[in-house]
Amino acid sequence: MTQDKHASAAARWTPWLALALLGAFPLLAPALGLDFYVGFVRRALIFALAAAGLNFILGFGGMAALGHAGFIGVGAYALVALVNAGVDSAWILWPAAVALAAGVAALIGLVALRTRGVYFIMITLAFAQMLYFIAVSLRVYGGDDGYNLPARPTLGLGLDLAHEPTLYWVVLALFAGVMALLNRATLSRFGHALTGIRDNETRMQAMGYPVFRLRLAAFAIAGAIAGLAGALLVTNNSFVSPAVMHWTQSATLIVMVVIGGVGRRWGGPVGAGVWILLEEFTKQYTDYWHLPLGVLLLLIVFLAPRGLVAVLQRKPRAVIAASPAGATE
Amino acid sequence: MSLFKVEGLVKRFGALLATDHVDLEVRAGEIHALIGPNGAGKSTLVNLISGLHAPDAGRIVLDGVAITGLPMHRRVEAGLSRCFQITSIFRDATVRDNLLLAAQAHAGSSMRFLRPRDAEPALFETAQALAERVGLAGQLERIAGALPHGAQRKLDVALALAARPKLLLLDEPMAGMGPEDSERMTELIHSLRSDMAILLIEHDMKAVFALADRISVLVYGRVLVAGDAATIKGHPQVQAVYLGTEELAVEEAAAA
Amino acid sequence: MTATLLIEQLLNGLGYGLMLFLLAAGLTLVFGIMDVMNLAHGSLFMGGAYVAAEVHTHNGSFVAAVGVAIAVVVMVALLLEVFLVRRLYGRDHLSQVLATFGLILIADDLVKMIWGPSPVMASAPAALAGPVELLSGLFYPAYRIVLLAAGVAVALGLYLLVNRTRIGMVVRAGASNRAMAEFMGVRVGRVFSLVFLLGAALAALAGALMGPITAVQIGMGEDILIPSLVVLVIGGIGSIRGALVAALLVGLVDTIGRAFVPMALATALPPTVVSDLAPAIAGLATYALMAGVLVFKPAGLFPARG
Repeated sequence: MTQDKHASAAARWTPWLALALLGAFPLLAPALGLDFYVGFVRRALIFALAAAGLNFILGFGGMAALGHAGFIGVGAYALVALVNAGVDSAWILWPAAVALAAGVAALIGLVALRTRGVYFIMITLAFAQMLYFIAVSLRVYGGDDGYNLPARPTLGLGLDLAHEPTLYWVVLALFAGVMALLNRATLSRFGHALTGIRDNETRMQAMGYPVFRLRLAAFAIAGAIAGLAGALLVTNNSFVSPAVMHWTQSATLIVMVVIGGVGRRWGGPVGAGVWILLEEFTKQYTDYWHLPLGVLLLLIVFLAPRGLVAVLQRKPRAVIAASPAGATE
Repeated sequence: MSLFKVEGLVKRFGALLATDHVDLEVRAGEIHALIGPNGAGKSTLVNLISGLHAPDAGRIVLDGVAITGLPMHRRVEAGLSRCFQITSIFRDATVRDNLLLAAQAHAGSSMRFLRPRDAEPALFETAQALAERVGLAGQLERIAGALPHGAQRKLDVALALAARPKLLLLDEPMAGMGPEDSERMTELIHSLRSDMAILLIEHDMKAVFALADRISVLVYGRVLVAGDAATIKGHPQVQAVYLGTEELAVEEAAAA
Repeated sequence: MTATLLIEQLLNGLGYGLMLFLLAAGLTLVFGIMDVMNLAHGSLFMGGAYVAAEVHTHNGSFVAAVGVAIAVVVMVALLLEVFLVRRLYGRDHLSQVLATFGLILIADDLVKMIWGPSPVMASAPAALAGPVELLSGLFYPAYRIVLLAAGVAVALGLYLLVNRTRIGMVVRAGASNRAMAEFMGVRVGRVFSLVFLLGAALAALAGALMGPITAVQIGMGEDILIPSLVVLVIGGIGSIRGALVAALLVGLVDTIGRAFVPMALATALPPTVVSDLAPAIAGLATYALMAGVLVFKPAGLFPARG
């Protein structure tokens, strides 16, 4: 278990500073001529959310799932289906997306989690492809061409999600909330059990942990978070197509997590932010933006395999055993 | 009075009959040793008992409860715990973290997502007690992978003890140990006798004869003979099959 | 549903299956022996298709086109192996997935730079453009027959290579137990390079042959990669025999699924439902097959590793 128990002061207030800056961004953007980028940062936050969920099972749970974008799709299409049926309240749409994605993830996990290693990678990929094909064939929701939302979901409470900054702050709040819960979870009994399973599954079994159940729960949680990301993505873009769940999207999510740092608390969000920023940046300069990103991947794999968070935290992290709350060393 | 029974256990791997209708019995408060030459099927038998493999036939009963088909974590609940021939610990974590994980496994559900684990003093007390029990109390802050071999084996045993089992499966606890470490391990095992029955798989005959109340000899997947130390030592077939090869080597060396 | 249609689809399925075999054989060897997950295998396929199309358009000789395609791709593969893939041996699968995914991105853009974003025209050789009458009333494109023949020939050749030659024996030993093979003095590095290049040659051949009957476009590598990986998993990692059986299975299931599921459903369900459901089922069929196989045989049909 390599978790920071006595994080340095900088590591502790950086997230809060980032949150403050992100919160202030829509207010500062017009002055800097960056209005357009409110939507862009919002999209980055949504992917950061999905990546954080993936990091939970990949980094903390050791489960290399190459089909995670499928659950984003489930969340997105759940919302689309309900909108198509006349529902327009976010209070119904978003939780429904989360619930459906969690349920689908649990069902897929029941089968997939019986495999290990490359077979697990393949079977999660296969299930995601199945979901993709289902989405493509659902012509009532546009099939390959996708589905346009007539309007953004409503939130009530005097908040108009059609107003760009409002949606931004709602997304930011959800992101912060989920990150807070995830961070708590990694420190909880569940989190420790999960990393234990990652580090030595046989021993965990021999100690009496219900390994399968614990993995399944983590898988479903990650699926739920991805479902939320999917719902927010549709809300953000007012559009969704099966492309959102193509396997290359799943691979991109893994790339994000690895760039940020597998198993690091902020690995998912940092990686997502870096990737999306680079993607946007290179797109502006050239049509051939896949190339530099591909090179970046190679550089990361060969030069910074632990991801950028590790590079930023250059001081070697000593694992200092914690003492129970209140006791003195 | 029999605490643990294995009846007619069979396991095949393809054409290989690894476990051939094995019967075994461990009484309450007893240390029962399982010996046999390499390849006899001791590890397979241990894996069948602990639940890593499913038997093709036979029954396993612990304290009156049939545990034959149960998954591993249910067997642990029923009172079975094991340690491993090849040390199986969490190498990148501290000794304390290792023991905390073991303590957590037996202190209620792990499906708790919000409360920090480190805010549970009871777990820390259990970890401390476990460390003291095996003699690792001064090593709690050390990274498990950096410990010397003997200490790692002790940690392996400690992780198994956290389950407060009725039957402890010790799979070659002395493996790779020098004489000093072996002695300490022997003392440790001896001290456990009052709390649990022990099924001890070992090659170290000195330790076996020092500890075991009864011994079962496993050869080619079947139990050749079971009895107390004197019975086993004097049994001609055991000598021939297991100890005999050494005597033969000694004779040949003497003749050369 | 007529007998001719059935035979035609069966032959299509076999053809597709044999092409998948060419790809999966390389993948299974690379993964089985070198333990390297190479997602860029599909990009080698794409390279073969593009180069063959280019040479054929300018030169006119299809055989030359195929030959040049294989040669070029093998040279690229050699560079890749020496500078990149070699450094992935022994690394965890996730790093390999990432690095080779990076290669996919680079390859896609390189192709786009050289040939542009639109699909490229790859035509079958004029001599093979027409149909052949196999049985009375049964016409089948001549080109596809050549494809079948080539696929069978390669399968046979691979079988002989792997099972009847010394080098094949070394390869099989490496696939089943790499450490042991090393201990027994096998020059592991050389074997690895050879296997990688052989895989690349097969992928390029598949690409060159499939070009005329599919769309030669950016991303075709990714599209064929997934079915190839499905074949790999169903067949069992490291087994050529497994790859062949699985490839034929997948090819047949996929083709027949697409051809006959709509028909079968149409007998029982209204057309609107059928037009939604049929492509979904057809697309899902191979994945359902894979999931089904893994339930009963979690290591595939013929795993090479013990």
